Amino acid sequence: MILQHRSHNDIDVVQLSGRFAMADCGEINLSIQDLINQGHGKLLIDMEKVTFIDSSGCAVLVAAYKSLQLKAGRLVLVTSPSVQSLIELTRLHTIFEIFPNQDAALEAM
Amino acid sequence: MVTNFQIPPVMLTLQIDSSIPCISPLGEAIHSLCLYATDSTECASQMQLAVIEAINNIVLHAYHNRKGNPITVKWNNENRQLRIEITDFGDSMTAPPIPELAPWDAENGRGWWIINACVDEYDYKVVFCDPQNAGPETGKPVTSPEKANILTLIKHY
Repeated sequence: MILQHRSHNDIDVVQLSGRFAMADCGEINLSIQDLINQGHGKLLIDMEKVTFIDSSGCAVLVAAYKSLQLKAGRLVLVTSPSVQSLIELTRLHTIFEIFPNQDAALEAM
Repeated sequence: MVTNFQIPPVMLTLQIDSSIPCISPLGEAIHSLCLYATDSTECASQMQLAVIEAINNIVLHAYHNRKGNPITVKWNNENRQLRIEITDFGDSMTAPPIPELAPWDAENGRGWWIINACVDEYDYKVVFCDPQNAGPETGKPVTSPEKANILTLIKHY
């Protein structure tokens, strides 16, 4: 799993690629929580290049959403087909804001 | 003319250690095997996800995240049915949890919901290898090496 971070104005953009599974979730969660703590309350997680996600990955997304809620912030996701499939299976699509690509997500933020 | 060549019955056994870095390579192997058998990426992805969720549970809850314990996966393809049997020797469950959807803000507890959605059938049993020396009757602890926990996942295609 690769995590890349960049800033776009006041938005933190995290791009994940590869397998978003339990082996990497601890470190990814720490990185994302650090960004939330230091950021401006706007986080875009782009998972367009994520090839696999399990419930551990979902838990990282839920934790990010909850942390941003406490800051009155906003989490926006971009999903790949496998990520979208699991998010829908676990009904989290009713909670998360999801966009088809990074440009659309940035424009909405 | 269309000829459908059936893949003959195949059984393969894989074994990994109970450490988290071993789980993803196993998942990739399961995906490849299921894709080979079914020619369906959807079926292969669902079986991969179900197996990974099951093994995540074994590593965390049966073996308490301790390395050095075996997890055996028997993959079987016969009569358009994938059957995956996962065996561990860690702590047992009294029964598989009811696959209920966790509250949206829960950070765990989605595994059985996912497994249930990805396969057609599953079965969990604890097998006592030597009923003379192990089991509830003798008061042996559930971590006794004389017993095995077997989770069977079945998907038709």
